[in-house]
Amino acid sequence: MRYPHARIGLGTVAAASALLLTAACGANSATDAGSDSKGPIPVGSILDATGPLNVIGKPNIDATNLAIKDINSHGGVLGRQLKLISYDAQSDNAKYTQYANKLTLENKVSVVMGGITSASREAIRPIVDRSKTLYFYNNLYEGGVCDKNVFNTGPVPSQQLAPLIPYATKNFGKKIYIVAADYNFGHISADWAKKYAKQAGATVVGTDFIPLESSDFGAVINNLQAAKPDVVVSLLVGGNHTAFYRQFASTGLNKSMKIVSTTFGDGSEHIVLAPKESTGVTVAFPYFQELKTPENTAFVSTWHAKYGQDYPYVPNSAVTVWNGWHLWAAAVEKAGSLDRDKVIAALESGLSIDSPSGKVTMNPGSHHVTQNVSIAEANDKHGFKVLTTNADVPPAYENSVCDLRKNPTTNKQFTP
Amino acid sequence: MMSTNNRTLSGSVAPIWHRLRKHVPVEIPGAVAVTLAGAVLATTVAPFRALDWSLWVIFGLLALSFTFVWGRAGIFSFGQTAFFGIGAYAYGVLGIDLFPQTGETTTALVAAVVIAAVVAATLGYFIFYGNVGDVYVSIITLAFTLVLLTFMSSTADPSYHIGQALLGGYNGIVGVPPLMLPGGGQMVSPNGLLFTCVAVAAFIGFGIHLLLRRPFGRILAGLRENELRTELLGYDVRRYKLVAFTIGGAIAGLAGGLFAAWGTSVNPNVFSLPQAALVPIWVLVGGRRSLLGAFVGVAIVQGVSDALGGGGGSATPIVLGTLLIAVVVLLPEGVLPTLSALARRFVPALGRASVAAGPAGRTGSPLGDSVIDDSVIDDTVIGGESRKATSITAVDVHKRFGGVAALAGASLEVAPNGVHCLIGPNGAGKSTFFNMLAGRYRPTSGTVLLGDEQITLRRPDERARRGIGIKLQVPSLYGELTAFENVWLAAYGAKRDIGEADVRARGALAWLHLSEKARQPAGELSHGERQWLEIGMVMASDPKVVLLDEPTAGMTREETMRVVELIHDLARTATVIVVEHDMEFVRQLGAPVTMFHEGRIFTSGSIEQLRADERVLDIYLGRGTSHAAH
Amino acid sequence: MTVQPDQLANLTLSLLSSIALLAVISLGLAVLFGMMGVINLAHGEFLMLGAFFTLTGVRHGLNLWVAMVLAALAVGAIGVVVERLLIQHLYGRMPATMLATWGLSLILVQVVVLIYGPASNGIPTPLGSIRIGDYSVSEYSLVLVGAAVLLLGLTYLVLTRTRYGTMARAAVMLPDMAAAVGVDVRRTNMLTFGFGSALAGAGGALLAPITAVVPSMGQTYVGRAFMTVVVGGPGVVAGTASAAGLLGGVNSLVSNLTTSVLGTAALLVVAIVILRFLPTGISGYWERKR
Repeated sequence: MRYPHARIGLGTVAAASALLLTAACGANSATDAGSDSKGPIPVGSILDATGPLNVIGKPNIDATNLAIKDINSHGGVLGRQLKLISYDAQSDNAKYTQYANKLTLENKVSVVMGGITSASREAIRPIVDRSKTLYFYNNLYEGGVCDKNVFNTGPVPSQQLAPLIPYATKNFGKKIYIVAADYNFGHISADWAKKYAKQAGATVVGTDFIPLESSDFGAVINNLQAAKPDVVVSLLVGGNHTAFYRQFASTGLNKSMKIVSTTFGDGSEHIVLAPKESTGVTVAFPYFQELKTPENTAFVSTWHAKYGQDYPYVPNSAVTVWNGWHLWAAAVEKAGSLDRDKVIAALESGLSIDSPSGKVTMNPGSHHVTQNVSIAEANDKHGFKVLTTNADVPPAYENSVCDLRKNPTTNKQFTP
Repeated sequence: MMSTNNRTLSGSVAPIWHRLRKHVPVEIPGAVAVTLAGAVLATTVAPFRALDWSLWVIFGLLALSFTFVWGRAGIFSFGQTAFFGIGAYAYGVLGIDLFPQTGETTTALVAAVVIAAVVAATLGYFIFYGNVGDVYVSIITLAFTLVLLTFMSSTADPSYHIGQALLGGYNGIVGVPPLMLPGGGQMVSPNGLLFTCVAVAAFIGFGIHLLLRRPFGRILAGLRENELRTELLGYDVRRYKLVAFTIGGAIAGLAGGLFAAWGTSVNPNVFSLPQAALVPIWVLVGGRRSLLGAFVGVAIVQGVSDALGGGGGSATPIVLGTLLIAVVVLLPEGVLPTLSALARRFVPALGRASVAAGPAGRTGSPLGDSVIDDSVIDDTVIGGESRKATSITAVDVHKRFGGVAALAGASLEVAPNGVHCLIGPNGAGKSTFFNMLAGRYRPTSGTVLLGDEQITLRRPDERARRGIGIKLQVPSLYGELTAFENVWLAAYGAKRDIGEADVRARGALAWLHLSEKARQPAGELSHGERQWLEIGMVMASDPKVVLLDEPTAGMTREETMRVVELIHDLARTATVIVVEHDMEFVRQLGAPVTMFHEGRIFTSGSIEQLRADERVLDIYLGRGTSHAAH
Repeated sequence: MTVQPDQLANLTLSLLSSIALLAVISLGLAVLFGMMGVINLAHGEFLMLGAFFTLTGVRHGLNLWVAMVLAALAVGAIGVVVERLLIQHLYGRMPATMLATWGLSLILVQVVVLIYGPASNGIPTPLGSIRIGDYSVSEYSLVLVGAAVLLLGLTYLVLTRTRYGTMARAAVMLPDMAAAVGVDVRRTNMLTFGFGSALAGAGGALLAPITAVVPSMGQTYVGRAFMTVVVGGPGVVAGTASAAGLLGGVNSLVSNLTTSVLGTAALLVVAIVILRFLPTGISGYWERKR
């Protein structure tokens, strides 16, 4: 800078005037709260429409829009239409905090839904807790969140692994190798897998944790060849980890061992992979597009009507989002009020809905849902073949540690 | 200036005001003004907006740390996000652990700053004392950031905890307490947080402004412009870089601590690649050197992306990407510098007013570079105390590059005062010898003495502080700094006293007859003037020994004649060694000559003696076989 | 634990394919950085484009290998366009180039999302697997090693044995002099950028059958590619080969012997230590030694 002193005058003036100017704008544009009792009910959603997480975000958003449309077309809630205010967090956690602030403080929404990763949920949670705004987290996650203000509709590890591991042990063999993503979800899921393996009389011959940004699975493939398990439990997540299935197949390992997974498909793995690489991967989820129930047939046709017949696949997470909205709507109707405490009480009354995945019941104590868990096998058409359905699988772990009716002030995430 | 009246009027208001103006730097009222504006702002906006803006100010601080480290000190560090993240984690952990005892979180915030600074200092020591090059610094800092990302993401196990705080792996630390001031026992409200952030940013911003006006700032500017030159002026470049890097780390750590308090959670995303890339983007959009630009850049980039997230649909990244490209192509200097240039052009009064209130008029300035005239020349040529000339001696110096012996046992003693010329054909070893005296090369064997002191293994900056003034063959100035700042840096490097440096710098410019160009950037001077200016820098540094490498390269006759005079002036107080090709110039200097050939000293004598020597001509013309065995 | 010969052979192959992977994802960047001093933050997206073009080619019935070559050429062509429209205005302005290419990367990702959706059908790994004792190895990993050698060799030949290569190196080392002796520096720069982009495209094409081809895939590789290029130093071929060998080798070895997490950490730590002690990278150190 040539004249260091010359700029301070200008700088200060500019800074001060900019601040005052923006203050004026800010004061003007503070919007009115949408809480009058006749107009539409403002509800909020924060998901990732752009950035790397849009693989999951896109179907979540589509499901959100469809659910709102469905609720509104059935007369709304309490005779009022829902007005969805949605934000794109752009795969950036700080944006979750910002938009959660905005939804609760500016838009004054009655409920916030959203968040994909657990980190994004933990960014939202303190804010909705502070403003006492009801919050639904609708994605598959590692489990254990226990918070009066938070409801979870996604499956938790114990829920998926409880039927999956015995199935694998019975059908594929008793030597199990666990390959998990190296973060909270992977570690906790791996612990559950070990526990259920022991119960099923199987032995875990090895466990590998893979960093989320890693896509070179050479070392894991070698370990698998040395250990020669019957079953590989894959708890991998994200685009990078999809490479595992590909490298697994190209080494020819898919001929000698079976992959079972609680994550395969949630990140569109079966779309991205070629049929010959994914065929035979066995998974457990509450929902598959192929489920043959009247509710699901109707749901899928509505979905295709809105988003086109060529929509790649309606994933599990889309339906858990759908379930979140419908559970909330049912609870508001039951409570007859938007008051948070009354809605919580309604949700804690053993409320259940019929969803595309079957009956979904909110557990009063744990705020997690009991739902069907189906076991399916990836087919050669980028889809799944449903093998068996286990009805009403409870979130056993959450139910055992978390009772929010007895201890309403609990606010933590339990880890096994 | 009216300071002479101070004593007679003591007791009345005016002198107090004057004394205040003299001793209170202008930054303090500036910071207070912005803080007050922040207070007004914080009381008028809606809470959600206060929270959004708090984040912008926090990111602005992070950007500011990068502006300081890169825009001002020239270190391109991707590590600012690492220190930001470390600050956030430190606040998270200590907030959880200390809050139950102390009931406040400012201790945690302060600790976050300290921890980030310590980590920055350690990493900086590792980098700068290893003489790691520019681009490589950015990659090391990036790798460091990614190491933290990898580590923090894999701390999911409950065994990773510090006190009560679980590091929490990818989910991060939850339950981080918000900002709690001592004695309050209550969390700071959204608007209070905005006020706090603005106040903190104002004092940090103006603090940096003040720091940059101190000699330290001018040295950093020198460092950024021309590292080698700065080293040759006696500044320990590594140490200044380290200090700048540490300050940058501390500010980033502060921003990180505030970030954790703002979001009440911390996760490893703070160490991610997109976050690391965002910091330079903010700064480039705002303007790389501008302190305020750091905040403006954040407001623009975050403002646009926040707004798009509310309804930009799937086009958000395309809009953002286009915006970045547009800034690069249309506003290459960044938004703020372009705006203030426009403001100066269309509102001339603004520019004039602030310039008039500039250097000379502003009393709080630690660096008074007031205008000078040519009349101050005295016996010591440029004024001030002078050191005594000393001898410089090389004893049996060898230097090998790989298999090639550039010097094969050269010994030379140059007595105090006077001029001494080194000549020789290309490849004779004179330049290697020169660099050996300057400290840029270490000899393979042999010793170099300054007076009686062994300096064989001393770095160039250590030699410079001991009184060796150096001018390299390639012109080496601070092109963007003014002529005055160029010589001032030379003088300060030797004297480390602002007053004395001012006197010497003015004297040196007067001596060069360049006083009226004191305020011109050195890069805008003519070729000859730049060469003179460099000799002036040598003079300003009050050397005992002066080393000049081809000081007249590319000069006209007249310019060369002027250099002869300047060198003779230099020789009044210093021992001057000149490496030169131009025989005519050597003749005009009328100094004893030493000729190099094949890495050794071939012969010494007066220029006339050498000219009469057949062997010398043989070597120069490459004829004969006995001497020129290439 | 005794190491069986088949285990050793398998380990060696796994090592080699890790190294090859690192080399092919870095080479294009090394050309742009080493030859032109351009830091291309959209490098990951150039890889991604190479992968998507391969995918598209195969979907339209092309043979995989033909599709890969065409994808590389297509990315090269995009590189030329980008150079003409954007980069040529920014030479010598390193930070500006970084900002612009970062902007470009955001745009490219989203354009691909809009065209292909966030997830689209991929192509399987071609060829089968071969058995070495108790172990089997994907044949494609051998192809990958071969392709890495081929691309490095090709780059070496282009840069040292062709008229263009001589001009390109001249344009880098002494632009004024090169211009003075009749080298069209503008055209040379354009070609170099195109060449580097094509190499990035080839890297992406080679990745297509072994990773998930998704629009965000570039981000995974760009950090590691940078690490490799910078640790390699200014020598394009020697630098990339040596740095990929060292970093890929360390990563693979540590991953195999301990855990993948430590393998990732080891790669980063080695990069930091190398740069601390060889501040101009490996090839820079060699050049100074000479």
